[in-house]
Amino acid sequence: MIEALDVTVRMGSKTVLHNVSLTAQAGEMTAIVGPNGSGKTTTLKAIAGELACDGRVLIGGDDIGSLQPWQLATRRAVLPQASVIAFPFTVREIVRMGLTVGASSSRGTAARAGHGSADRIAEEALEAVDLGGFAGRLYQELSGGEQQRVQLARALSQIWEPVRDGCPAFLLLDEPVSSLDIRHQLTVMRLAADYCRRGGGVVAVMHDLNLTAMFADHVVMMKEGRVVAAGAPRAVMTDEMMETVFGCAMRVSAVPPSGMPFVLPQTTMS
Amino acid sequence: MQPGNTAAGETLHPMPSASPRRRSPSPLAAIRADRDAGDRSGLARLLILFLAAVTLFAFGASVMTGAADASVGNLLRWLTGTETTDAALSLRDRIIILDIRLPRAVLGLLVGAALAVSGAVMQGLFRNPLADPGLVGVSAGAGLGAVVTIVLGTSVFSGLFTLVGIYALPVAAFFGALITTFLLYRIATRGGQTSVATMLLAGVALAALAGAVTGVLIFLADDKQLRDLTFWGLGSLAGASWTKIAAAAPIILASLAVVPFLARGLNALTLGEAAAFHMGVPVQRLKTVAVVTVAASTGAAVAVSGGIGFVGIVVPHVLRLLIGPDNRYLLPASALLGGTLLIAADMVARTVVPPAELPIGIITAFAGAPFFLWILLRGRAQMGL
Repeated sequence: MIEALDVTVRMGSKTVLHNVSLTAQAGEMTAIVGPNGSGKTTTLKAIAGELACDGRVLIGGDDIGSLQPWQLATRRAVLPQASVIAFPFTVREIVRMGLTVGASSSRGTAARAGHGSADRIAEEALEAVDLGGFAGRLYQELSGGEQQRVQLARALSQIWEPVRDGCPAFLLLDEPVSSLDIRHQLTVMRLAADYCRRGGGVVAVMHDLNLTAMFADHVVMMKEGRVVAAGAPRAVMTDEMMETVFGCAMRVSAVPPSGMPFVLPQTTMS
Repeated sequence: MQPGNTAAGETLHPMPSASPRRRSPSPLAAIRADRDAGDRSGLARLLILFLAAVTLFAFGASVMTGAADASVGNLLRWLTGTETTDAALSLRDRIIILDIRLPRAVLGLLVGAALAVSGAVMQGLFRNPLADPGLVGVSAGAGLGAVVTIVLGTSVFSGLFTLVGIYALPVAAFFGALITTFLLYRIATRGGQTSVATMLLAGVALAALAGAVTGVLIFLADDKQLRDLTFWGLGSLAGASWTKIAAAAPIILASLAVVPFLARGLNALTLGEAAAFHMGVPVQRLKTVAVVTVAASTGAAVAVSGGIGFVGIVVPHVLRLLIGPDNRYLLPASALLGGTLLIAADMVARTVVPPAELPIGIITAFAGAPFFLWILLRGRAQMGL
């Protein structure tokens, strides 16, 4: 479980997060939604441990401030929004970085599974993001969406086992589907859901409300650096919330059998 | 983990992903297949072996060739005691080989390795292939440290000078380089991102500033100091001696010993500071160690050889084209190729116009400057210039 308790982040003189508290359970996908500039990414960075903040962030009960970078790396992996790299690494080399850098867990994993397993994990991770056969390509020559999926494969191989020694690992995804086509949006969301099903946890910053409703177990709605609502998609995705959080008066409908909410831009009331 | 997280009815990419553990008819074919599958480590190891052989060859060639006709064969025969006549080895030959050519080759190897590895580490640290101690003012800072020692060493810091002896020059150059690298990093990097333009321009400014202070010191220097300065600043291996090697070798070898521990971290840093931290790299510590290492090896190299440019930019770049940017292989390969290149440049420098010598800096600049322009033009778009 990841818990953020009263997290406040200041950048310069501006406070960008005000006492944000949220909980992300293992086995569940937690989505953070909200308008641009509402503090979603900052929240994710605070949870990842890369930002100085007031308040506490706990992962599996341990304060992230008390863990060394390489210890943290065995408990969570992060998919950033966009990554520009300076040198011509191949896709395989990038993905294998997730396995070889710092994270002793992956080394342990590789040692346990025997020789050559690092290569196997890298390959399976690439296949999981539908990039089988891309290992030999240069990262810089891929499209934005392909690069994003390589990064996901890299993050995934860092915490390949969703549960290790009884301790669940967390994927922190910042807009994981932002530059993907519809098919790969589904591929990636299913991958994340599968990771949760196998005992890991996922925290994703999302813009697509329909994918959020379809895949998330827990939705955190943010506005102006504060958490406005949190709960199951059906509980928080309401007409009133759309208007309060996004300033966008629109109708939330439901897919008939399951009652899964969905929104259509066409229903916007001007 | 099942790979089948794809949409229902969707087939995986038809291209089979090549397994790196396939059985291949020959090791070379296996290396080629691995490279095509994105794994260049086999290729890199092969190149490192090859470079090691080339380095040995260059070293031997350097000891054997020169303006004077001193035979190594005779020296070896004299050393092994198979022939003891005066004709086999004159004292002159012995001095030429053991006290002139050998220290020169050793110093060339050390300085070349130090410059190339500093360049590679700096490029990793700044995430930019144009970062080079010579280009961004680090060598100028080291030079200032050396000049301060030569001019003020005998008067202001005379006590200190006698205390540290032969290490005074390299240590002073180290501090000059350290201060410059630190300032450069603080100026060019904001929020974990390094601006190329800021880095290069700040480097120009820092080099100019170091040059101005150096100028003032030269203006203040007396005749003897001026002569020392001139000899020091020639940028050559001409003054190579076992004393110089004793002064520089410990610092350079210590830096080279640290470098392998930076490789994985520098690889991760390619993806950005945040991503490196996510992957478990203690980023702050990595940066500190990298800066100190670059400063130490550049400082020591500059202290004993003056300013020799472009080795740090050409060598890593050529190697990246061959084996890719993985620092685990790039750094050792850079050390070997840098050493070889400097030995070769030195051989050219002392044999093209015998018995006179060209300063080696001229040779490396002739080879390096057009190369630098080529990198610049080729990578203009992707480096955001």
